[in-house]
Amino acid sequence: MLFHDVVIVGGGLTGLMAACEAPPGLDVALFSKIYPTRSHSGAAQGGFNAALGEDDSVEAHIFDTVKGGDYLGDQDAVEVLCSEGPEVIRSLDRMGVPWSRRPDGRPAQRSLGGAGFPRACYAADISGHVVLHTLYERALAAGVRLYPEWHLVEILIEEGALAGLLLYHLATGRLEVVRCRVALLAAGGYGRIFQKTTNGHSNTGDGTAVAYRAGAVLADMEFVQFHPTTLTGSNILISEAARGEGGYLRNAAGERFMDRYAPQKMELAPRDVVSRSIFQEIKEGRGLDGGSVNLDLTHLGREKILRQLPQITELAHRYAAVDPVREPIPIEPAQHYSMGGIRVNLDCETTIPGLLAAGETANVSVHGANRLGGNSLLETVVFGRRAGRHLGKAAAGRPLPPPPRASLADALGRWQANFSAGPRHPDDSAAAIRDALNRTMTDKVGVFRTGEELGEAMAELAALRTRYDALRLSPGERPFNTELIEHLELGCLLELGEITAGAAFRRTESRGAHYRLDHPHRDDARWLHHTLARRGADGRAVYEAGPVSITRFPPQERGY
Amino acid sequence: MRLTLNISRFDPQTDANPAPQAYPVDWERHETVLDLLIRARQQDPSLAFRRSCRSGICGSCAVQIGDRSRLACQTLVREVAADGDILSIGPLRGFRQLRDLVADMDPFFAALNRVVPWVITLPDHAGLVSPEDAARIESPATCILCGVCDAELPPAGSATPAALVKNLRLAVDPRDALGAQRLKLAGLTAAGMRTFRELLPSLCPKGIKLPVVGE
Repeated sequence: MLFHDVVIVGGGLTGLMAACEAPPGLDVALFSKIYPTRSHSGAAQGGFNAALGEDDSVEAHIFDTVKGGDYLGDQDAVEVLCSEGPEVIRSLDRMGVPWSRRPDGRPAQRSLGGAGFPRACYAADISGHVVLHTLYERALAAGVRLYPEWHLVEILIEEGALAGLLLYHLATGRLEVVRCRVALLAAGGYGRIFQKTTNGHSNTGDGTAVAYRAGAVLADMEFVQFHPTTLTGSNILISEAARGEGGYLRNAAGERFMDRYAPQKMELAPRDVVSRSIFQEIKEGRGLDGGSVNLDLTHLGREKILRQLPQITELAHRYAAVDPVREPIPIEPAQHYSMGGIRVNLDCETTIPGLLAAGETANVSVHGANRLGGNSLLETVVFGRRAGRHLGKAAAGRPLPPPPRASLADALGRWQANFSAGPRHPDDSAAAIRDALNRTMTDKVGVFRTGEELGEAMAELAALRTRYDALRLSPGERPFNTELIEHLELGCLLELGEITAGAAFRRTESRGAHYRLDHPHRDDARWLHHTLARRGADGRAVYEAGPVSITRFPPQERGY
Repeated sequence: MRLTLNISRFDPQTDANPAPQAYPVDWERHETVLDLLIRARQQDPSLAFRRSCRSGICGSCAVQIGDRSRLACQTLVREVAADGDILSIGPLRGFRQLRDLVADMDPFFAALNRVVPWVITLPDHAGLVSPEDAARIESPATCILCGVCDAELPPAGSATPAALVKNLRLAVDPRDALGAQRLKLAGLTAAGMRTFRELLPSLCPKGIKLPVVGE
């Protein structure tokens, strides 16, 4: 058994920022399923939005974010995000982030989708990477206790409040109880429920699923972002920065088809709009063979491409055998970001006393129904900082809970049920179930949805759950039991896939990234609210409506 | 096409020594070594290796492929093998093998601490960095801490290779209070530094070109 005042789960941008910003003297430990520098935050390319420019304003950033989110974002949270942005960017600068620079030495900014101004601070096209590594450096400087390769298994609840965490330590192969006053979940998203995703293998939503099982409320799980430009086949991300720097989308006939869908913003319309437009082109027979369109950078010139977009040049070359300087890149939309997550307030508190959440794991609802490029990286550092600063107060207000008893006994019972002394299920495997889950989600819970297909998806996922429950692993606590990790991850993916499909089935309107062919219009009278999901007594999700904070911008029609 | 992965297997609970195990796998022209490792794990779920981003930015999947250390996700099979070949894969050379392809990374990360691996921000720095200074930081700041240089290069001076890269990235940062004095931390001669700078780009998965500092 271990104990710390504060435990952070997740070593990406949010978790590291929180660890760095926690009050000095607080005993903070950071647990991460992989080494922090391996976190998927590092794969983010485009940049961090902040209204720093002379012509730009916090007000404009708030408006773009609210409109981009199709009016589902909580405007009080958006205001926090946008107004704290400039200060956080300056603070990152002092920490040592190697931003790309303007001639006068200030951080350079570029345009990303849905923004009225060049607003994203960046470092070429490795913006997430450089900030991740800088925050890792700062965490070392601050003496944060790091526990790499510890996998979250359960959150232990006694009398409705946090009593501790159960984590699996990969190096020893042992399960450990970790006691703490407060815990912050900063465990990232769950893109791996989809077959086509930009997310890394680790993005399996463990934090979100485990919190849900412990009784936390999830919100807006039907809102899934599909990034317009990923390499066809591998779905490796090609940053929106490619279009921010002036790249064009072209169909098979070479037309810049975005003029049909978003004549003003063209390629820099929000991602939901661009992804739907691409699929519309393909559906109407104007795509390339194999269901792609082209991202054309050739007119930007070699020098600009290599200076501003070196990583994607390399990625296109290596994984698609294309030289973006000379030829267009075949791309297709793929899952990229989870707008939904654990419902939290502005102090990052969940509905469970002692449990906080921030970043992609959480839903404070700054993104609403569709996130703008550059706002998720901003969210990680703004809300990571807020969570970190709140940890002191949260820990001071909460004595260390007594050692968990009943909750631990229950959790150990569930743990043992994963194993069997006999052979594994002979005809089935986690890999086969995962493959089926991924295909169902991509085929039936994707960019274009219908009630019929969502209903089919729910039935398929329920059947997969039954198959999963029959799987058994060979016993034994072995070091680096990655078979066990993948088994646990699959359980989380199935849980989150079911809620995503269920929430999407329920919402009979189209808003932001949630597009229903059978209900193609936004319906504010019935649906201008968050979808809240909690786990019912029978283990199935129970949905209800939650209010949206609307402080300054009443909903309008959303055109680009 | 088909080839055989010859993978070093080791389970500390049952094995005295590592031993290779053969995994015949199909492959296609566009695939990476990581794709094949994932296929091998589908045959045998007990095979342990690390991976995450699958696009060369997280550094998890550094292993020895054939005769040298590389990122599995960044290595196209066709670059290292032909149809029918046997391709050996092991943990990073010189690292302790914890299990199968999983190397002990703790000493690697701990070695960074030797060079004070963070910007010691000058208290009066105004937050402006010229594009020229930013350009000097850029290449070493692409380091993903994968461990390949530590596996492939002999120690030079008193800092490990990855720590040396970090040290140089910080030494050229105009915000840093130590700046060029950081070179003393590495205990490296000018000749040793030149050799290191020449060797690094060809084996580093990010092709890092180190800036010239105070030589």
